[in-house]
Amino acid sequence: MRAARAAWAIARMELSVWLRSRWAVLAAVVPPLGMAALVGVLTISVGQQPVALVVQGDGQLALRLGHLIQADREAYLVSVMDRRDAEAALREQRVAAVVVIPADFDQRAATGQAQVVLELNNVDIDVSDDIRRSVARSVAEMDAPQLGLAGELNGPSQGLLLPNPYRVAVAERDLRETNVDFLRYQVVPVLILVVISVATLSAAALTARDFERGTGRLLLMAPARRGTVVAGKLLASVLATAVVLVPLVGVGAAAGVLAPPAAHWPALAVLLAAVTVAAAGVGQLIGVAVRGGRAVTMVGLNAGIVLFFLGGGFTTVAFLPGWLQALAALVPTSYAIAGVRQALFYPDLQGFGLDVGVLLACALVSAGLGAFALGRTLGHRR
Amino acid sequence: MNVVRLIRATARLELELLARDRLFVALTVLAAVSFIAMVSLFGLTGSRAPMALVDEDHSPDAQRFVRALEQAHHSFALRPMSAAEASAQVGSGRLVGSITIPAGFGERVRRGDTVPVEVVIDNVDVDLTNDVQRALPAAIVLFGRDAGLPGLRAQVSERDVYVNDTGYVPYLAVSALALDAFVIAGALGAIAVAREWEGRTLKLLRVSPARPGALLAGKLLAAGAVAAAALLAAVLAVVLGYGVRPVAPVAVAGTLLACVVVFACVGAWLGAVLRRTAPVVPLMFGLAMPLYLDSGALEPTRFDGDVIWVIAHATPLYYAVGVLEWAFHGLQVTPEPVLLDLAILVAFAAASVPLAAAALREDG
Repeated sequence: MRAARAAWAIARMELSVWLRSRWAVLAAVVPPLGMAALVGVLTISVGQQPVALVVQGDGQLALRLGHLIQADREAYLVSVMDRRDAEAALREQRVAAVVVIPADFDQRAATGQAQVVLELNNVDIDVSDDIRRSVARSVAEMDAPQLGLAGELNGPSQGLLLPNPYRVAVAERDLRETNVDFLRYQVVPVLILVVISVATLSAAALTARDFERGTGRLLLMAPARRGTVVAGKLLASVLATAVVLVPLVGVGAAAGVLAPPAAHWPALAVLLAAVTVAAAGVGQLIGVAVRGGRAVTMVGLNAGIVLFFLGGGFTTVAFLPGWLQALAALVPTSYAIAGVRQALFYPDLQGFGLDVGVLLACALVSAGLGAFALGRTLGHRR
Repeated sequence: MNVVRLIRATARLELELLARDRLFVALTVLAAVSFIAMVSLFGLTGSRAPMALVDEDHSPDAQRFVRALEQAHHSFALRPMSAAEASAQVGSGRLVGSITIPAGFGERVRRGDTVPVEVVIDNVDVDLTNDVQRALPAAIVLFGRDAGLPGLRAQVSERDVYVNDTGYVPYLAVSALALDAFVIAGALGAIAVAREWEGRTLKLLRVSPARPGALLAGKLLAAGAVAAAALLAAVLAVVLGYGVRPVAPVAVAGTLLACVVVFACVGAWLGAVLRRTAPVVPLMFGLAMPLYLDSGALEPTRFDGDVIWVIAHATPLYYAVGVLEWAFHGLQVTPEPVLLDLAILVAFAAASVPLAAAALREDG
């Protein structure tokens, strides 16, 4: 009980020191916020592409195809223009492509020779292929309505098969029930980056500070045991993370960005706590190893970047090449990000036990190592 | 006092200070270079979704359909396997999904039937799911054309602006160089100035007869030289690691040097504002992230709409990416001519020098 009170007192003192270091707080918070902004802008880039539609034909088929393209809002941001304006828009990069349905479209369609002209700014393969796929789907949909998105999801897979001239249909079955938009899907892992950044950098900075100012020795002269001192310092980083994280989660929940099933909140809390302790332990290790304020910040920043990216913060690990998947499996953040997504976006907690188990083990190991290294180093300097 | 000698002496002193801070400089460079590698992870998921292919038919038409899937705009990396393997691998998240060509596929297609192909998608990532959903009809269209099926009325005729498509990872890696220049040169410039406040040596500088502009020039010369060397490592990583050969190497060098000058001066100004060295790099990194994406890093900024495009003009990264993509890939990613981009970049550099000098003169 006395030890707990002592640890709590040390934690409060360390926390107040950290909160007074405005720049340290800023250094821990700004990179994740920057990353959140980056992901936000990213969602604009990877979604719909701006396309000019020029419908020169006035036949039934030409108009139908034009309508199909305009209706596909998931793929395009369509502006209907005349040919000259469309060419200018392509030149000025206001659109990434021009889709032209020629005047003779219906006549040529009667003989199976109709062409849709796609003028494409193929500046990079990601943009280009997105547009190519979308235009091909629109053209296919003209003769085979079930090749549209609604047909793929609700056609043959629901027992409704309409014949089409391509003689192939898609019976799509989605593995998960989710309708999470890309922004929420990508922004949520930034929570993990916040935890990693604040816990690691606060622990590293507070530890390094003791070496730089020699205050570690003063702590050891206190009547508390060394383990209590180290636990108090670790607790301070956990509290620092909570100071930043709790309001963020509160705002996210109030705004509806974080809206897991009610029963998932405790699981989410356990996961975030495990990541916090693990990151704080790593921070103590960095603080002991590096000891210089600036270098400590840089090591923490580097660790945060690698852990976040390799953990799938910017992508989906499952879809990376095999060797990268194997590498990511060794990175604890991949379990944290997978767990957060599972808790927030899916109706069940499938696979969550493994994620939390790995993270708790990491928390135990890193906190233990951090405490051992710090306790031992302070002891040597006594 | 001879200004050239003064600049040289200040630069030498700054280099000595940086040499004492080797770990910090190395970590700054590491953060910037590793960013290139990490960003390219995103590029790896931009195409070729790994999909299980379960062919229960093995007829020539089934093989034709497989070829169509392979040719459908870099959409699929097909992994032939049994249904059980596919189910296990998709279930464990190792594949995006599976495509099953049912037994009797070829025979039924020849008979004129429409055959449903079963597609299972792990729809955990909406973007990738959309790609797969769009790519399947594209493959079916290719199949129908290749099989010479009757009744197909229309096809797409494509005219590209560029002869070749540029790969996504090479595109991203080149634009990331601009960000590297921002972080490395900016951080070193900021530290060179902030150190004077932190070490309380600013007063000494002020009472010396030397002109502050010359002192700043010397400091930034040293910071710029170290940043340029670090950037060279990043360029080599892009050229050798990703196999990107610049079409205009001189323009690459010139642009990156201009970036170093601009960003070192911006960094010096930031250093004068912060007056502390510790938060410099995290702040530079945090600021760099949104600026980076709003600079045409993933695709021409103009495609992202008027608001984002207009905002992008406020940052030198926009012009830097414009020139770098042209210099490496021959791409025009800004509506403005490349020469204008370069001129504005130089103007940024010219404007940032007096700004930084003024910051150093301000009362500390």
